[in-house]
Amino acid sequence: MGQLIVLALVLPLVTGALTMAQSGQQAIRWINLAGGSLTSLALLTIVYHVATEGVVNAGSLYVDQLTAVVLIVVALLTFTAALFSQSYMEQEVVQGHISLKQLKRYYGLFNLFVFTMICVLVTENMGMIWVAVEATTLSSALLVAFYFDRAALEAAWKYVMVCTVGICLALLGTILLYYAQVNASIGQIQALSWLALKSVSQRLDPGMIKLAFVFILIGYGTKAGLAPMHTWLPDAHSQAPSPVSGLLSGALLSCALYAIVRTFIIAKSALGVAFPEQLLIGFGLLSIVIAVPFILVQHDLKRLLAYSSIEHMGLITLGFGLGTPLAVYGALLHIVNHAVTKSALFYLTGAIIKQYGTKHMMRIRGLVSAAPMVGCMFVAAVLAIAGLPPFSVFYSKFTIVWAAFHSGSPWLGAAVLLLMAGVFAGMIYYTLKIAFGPAPSRVSTGYRPGVPALVAVSASMVLMIGTGLYLPPWFDTLIDQAVVIVTGGGL
Amino acid sequence: MNLLIVILLFLALLLSRVTSLKTAVNVLLAQSALVALACTIVAVDTGEVHTYVAAALTLVVKAGLIPYALYRIVGMLRREREDHPILNPNYSAMVFGCMIVLAYGLIDRALPGVVSRDALAAAVSMTLIGLTMIMTRRQAVLQIVGLITMENGLYLVGLSVTKGLPLIIELGVFLDVLVAVVVLVILTYRLKRSFMSTDTSRLKKLKG
Repeated sequence: MGQLIVLALVLPLVTGALTMAQSGQQAIRWINLAGGSLTSLALLTIVYHVATEGVVNAGSLYVDQLTAVVLIVVALLTFTAALFSQSYMEQEVVQGHISLKQLKRYYGLFNLFVFTMICVLVTENMGMIWVAVEATTLSSALLVAFYFDRAALEAAWKYVMVCTVGICLALLGTILLYYAQVNASIGQIQALSWLALKSVSQRLDPGMIKLAFVFILIGYGTKAGLAPMHTWLPDAHSQAPSPVSGLLSGALLSCALYAIVRTFIIAKSALGVAFPEQLLIGFGLLSIVIAVPFILVQHDLKRLLAYSSIEHMGLITLGFGLGTPLAVYGALLHIVNHAVTKSALFYLTGAIIKQYGTKHMMRIRGLVSAAPMVGCMFVAAVLAIAGLPPFSVFYSKFTIVWAAFHSGSPWLGAAVLLLMAGVFAGMIYYTLKIAFGPAPSRVSTGYRPGVPALVAVSASMVLMIGTGLYLPPWFDTLIDQAVVIVTGGGL
Repeated sequence: MNLLIVILLFLALLLSRVTSLKTAVNVLLAQSALVALACTIVAVDTGEVHTYVAAALTLVVKAGLIPYALYRIVGMLRREREDHPILNPNYSAMVFGCMIVLAYGLIDRALPGVVSRDALAAAVSMTLIGLTMIMTRRQAVLQIVGLITMENGLYLVGLSVTKGLPLIIELGVFLDVLVAVVVLVILTYRLKRSFMSTDTSRLKKLKG
């Protein structure tokens, strides 16, 4: 299994390197499609292996059930984003927005970005997780700035500055964690190894761990888009090319949350549950509260989706903060569901923006009549992300809210429900305006998003509805086992 | 060691008054060289090979490659300087001074009786000063200098509490810092081309 993990790490690098060496557009297309599919396949095999056989621990590479849940997200999104990029970037080249050289740079950075995200997940060492999380910022920064126009530059500058400062605080937290580990261990230690930290967690100095957890939460919370450190997120998500927005929102935020959860497990064991859980609930609730007004008064389609991501990240953090097995189950399931649904929405938005030539929601009208296929899927995906059954997001949202009521804080549950109603109202209001009515005459009805793009989105739609109706038993068991890891059962 | 700390704090304070980009990079270069020296002193004390490696890397990356990249971009930005800083130099120096007091206060509360109290306080104040610089300077290059100052401060924190992180992680951190500066320099260059200026207060189009 260790070799397969190495393969999954090497594949994106090889794909990126091969892409840079090509000169034909067709060759680039096929290499990336093959590379993306193979990476995805390798990751899913690892996930399935972990679900059926148990934890893989190969030296510094380590994949347990918690990792596997987030690996599913990266696997699925790598595939759909690579597929969607085919159509999207090809049209950019045909329309003359980018040159072949830029196309190569795009795929090179895209694969590097995927590589860094896999790195975050498969390392077992808190220090290496820090290195990998910072690497995700750097590899995606030039993707955010891809078009190098004024807005993209502004978004990228804020992205790098805010996230790097945030991540510096996480480094401080990591140093403190190491300090606590050095003081608590006797003799030779495996520095910052998560398993080693967990085994001595009872002996770690609580004051130091408290400090470390706060710094790490703020640091990785910046990357996960938790309020009030979320300011980079709407800018970066709205300016990046659409496939990248999907990847940022679905996969990158999940990876950052994963880093928080790893620290959270240590902190809970060293400090007791109260302090870390209250902190997560606080940040989670604040993120939802902050997202609502921006969703209600929004003019830019991609920013609308970005604020919705902040809301969902808040909800997931809240779920982890509640700490009951039910809530954690909901939170883990929601990571997967949100990623699949939100990435599909960003892809669809990419197609819509291509057709209408604007991100401004006031200028997008009559989508269903102008582009029936994209329009219907867009409406369905918005209903899904807003949390209507039978889509999968409904079940995970419902589980988290249910757990909030169950865990003895009905007010919290009621508040979250109320806020979610606000988000729902905003999303549906704008979607109805965009989707229905006559299309403006200047919009051509002849635009085709391309077969790969439609396949990518349809695959996500099938997953959205499919997992809403039926969860495969191995997947259910996988999440159950991940819940045990988070809530502090055995290793 | 104490002399080193005093010089480091003095250099950090000097950054509060700098308005020319080139001077800022000069100060940064001196600062990074001193951090490398501090690392070497720790290496001699402990005799650990990996601390020597870390010291050499600090010298190459932070006192070599990063200043080189910054000098190149500063060479292209001849007419850029910090014209109307958010805090004027006098207030700025005062704030930076407060940061040093704050750092001592923090250390005494969080880690009473720690052996390397002065070194740790200097490290934390450098981190805070770097952070303040990022927030109160508009010029892109000065923000980068602030970031590296912050990173140097964190490095010293690691050095004074645990004699540095494990080597493999240290290597990753160096790589990240180097790539971060390269990315930021590319962005700065593009800012100059698109906005005719590297004043980041012009970046205010994306809102809401």
